[in-house]
Amino acid sequence: MSIIVQTEQLTKTFQKQQAVDHVDMVIREGEIYGFLGPNGAGKTTTIRMLLGLMKPTSGTVRIFGKELQKHKLDILRQVGSLVENPSYYPHLTAYENLNVVREIVGVPHKRISEVLETVRLTEAAHRKVKGFSLGMKQRLGIAAALLHQPKLLVLDEPTNGLDPSGIIEIRELIKSLPQQYGMTVLISSHLLSEIDQIATAVGVVSRGKLIYQDQMSNLRKLARSTIRIQCSEPGKAVAALKQLELAAAHEQEQLILENCSNRSVADAVSLLVHQGHDIYRVEENKQSLEQIFLSMTDGVSL
Amino acid sequence: MLSQLLRSEWMKIKRKGLWFLTVLGPLGVVGLTMVNYGVRKDYLLSLSDDDWAIYLDNILSLTPLALVLGIVILTSMMASIENQTNAWKQWLALPVSRSSVYLSKYVIATTLLFVSSIILGIGTTLYGLTLGLGDDIPWLRIMQVSFYPWLASQALIAFHLWVAVANNNQGITVSIGVVGVILTFMAFFLPDWFLWKWPTLANDWNNPFINIVLGISAGLLLFIAGMWHFCRKDVS
Ligand SMILES: Nc1ncnc2c1ncn2[C@@H]1O[C@H](COP(=O)(O)OP(=O)(O)OP(=O)(O)O)[C@@H](O)[C@H]1O
Ligand SMILES: [Mg+2]
Repeated sequence: MSIIVQTEQLTKTFQKQQAVDHVDMVIREGEIYGFLGPNGAGKTTTIRMLLGLMKPTSGTVRIFGKELQKHKLDILRQVGSLVENPSYYPHLTAYENLNVVREIVGVPHKRISEVLETVRLTEAAHRKVKGFSLGMKQRLGIAAALLHQPKLLVLDEPTNGLDPSGIIEIRELIKSLPQQYGMTVLISSHLLSEIDQIATAVGVVSRGKLIYQDQMSNLRKLARSTIRIQCSEPGKAVAALKQLELAAAHEQEQLILENCSNRSVADAVSLLVHQGHDIYRVEENKQSLEQIFLSMTDGVSL
Repeated sequence: MLSQLLRSEWMKIKRKGLWFLTVLGPLGVVGLTMVNYGVRKDYLLSLSDDDWAIYLDNILSLTPLALVLGIVILTSMMASIENQTNAWKQWLALPVSRSSVYLSKYVIATTLLFVSSIILGIGTTLYGLTLGLGDDIPWLRIMQVSFYPWLASQALIAFHLWVAVANNNQGITVSIGVVGVILTFMAFFLPDWFLWKWPTLANDWNNPFINIVLGISAGLLLFIAGMWHFCRKDVS
């Protein structure tokens, strides 16, 4: 897979504050790269530098294998973006807002109706954006980013202001982009759950530093899941499970099994049932993924 | 790329009242002159044998103020279209060079004011004809009164555009604009090298051409400086 975005020691300093601190980011073709970090971590600043909106204090950005400084327009022709709060011209309609962008990217008029359909704004197409809800403005921003079917889509907190059904809709849309159009997506968020549901790769940024970057699947492996079984007489149950060579712990009237396969959970449950234990609840606990992040980001919760 | 940008920019200024202002300015100048002649026509006609010259001087005494007011309002409104939702970050992440974006803004502002000047020329001629100022219509002088102030104002357009685009805070833009309008009001007392005096076409040599040369050359320098700044600016 070819590399779409690569930054080398990318740094941005405001006055004395290092907003982005020697970041080496790698995004490969077809990935949905989740860019995760708490408020003020430097996500938006990094994205602004990727789009040429801000000059790095030091370091370089390469996109599609070309250096951004030297080939900015060539690169931006194939990049769609939505940075922070949606930008729009409130006195123009949704259609006119997209038409203003369409002139620049040079696609036929019918693309406007297509992207409006994609983000479900067809009905509001000829209303002034001034009267739109935040979620509708956000959708309009996504529509503008999709207008010229970019190879790289950069979305900074795109689900801000959307209602739960809107979030799911946009999430499904973003997920479909790599297979359907061969797009690569960079999506930032301060919510772990969001990145967890959408991303195939992840980069975690904290206080300007990229402190973790890998495939999402590798991260999930790091996050060892625990199974909690609530049953009658957990003390006896722990002893019983020793037969299966399963290390079970006993904590607050619950059995805790760490890192087990489906097979071992099934074996454990059937053994306990055979021995006459009542099983009230079996639940998987994924809190540990959060805990990994918490420790990575020095306790700033995501 | 510039033609695409200009098409977009024309679309953006829809419904913002910029065209209305473009028409209002020259009509205001002619309208005030109408009031003047309505009230004291006999006196004004008695001032000199050359009634056209007096009439055109009257027009020219009002034009600079209308022009500077127009420049200040147009440039600050054009910048506010981008500033209010920080649309710069969307606009400048498109495949456009910043210098073309800046140039397109300048072209829009100067074109609108050029249209104002055409309307001023037409209005001046038509009202002048109804006043019976003599059969010898001074076409050349009418053209000068209509378009020289616009030519001499290029430096002001470049300056106020720079101010408007450089400040996300419209308060600063408007304050500097107000100072500009006041300076124009006092132009008579200002030295010849002062930007805001140039649209009055007055100078110690009595040669309006000097103001035009100054306006255009300083305009070019200020435009390049503003563009240079805009191209290097971080967009947040
Ligand atoms: N234009 C600017 N001038 C000065 N400081 C800035 C500027 N933009 C950002 N910062 C600072 O840089 C740091 C990183 O900001 P940034 O907006 O990149 O964070 P973020 O990760 O996008 O946060 P959020 O989740 O809140 O959007 C912050 O401390 C912020 O105060
Ligand atoms: Mg941000």
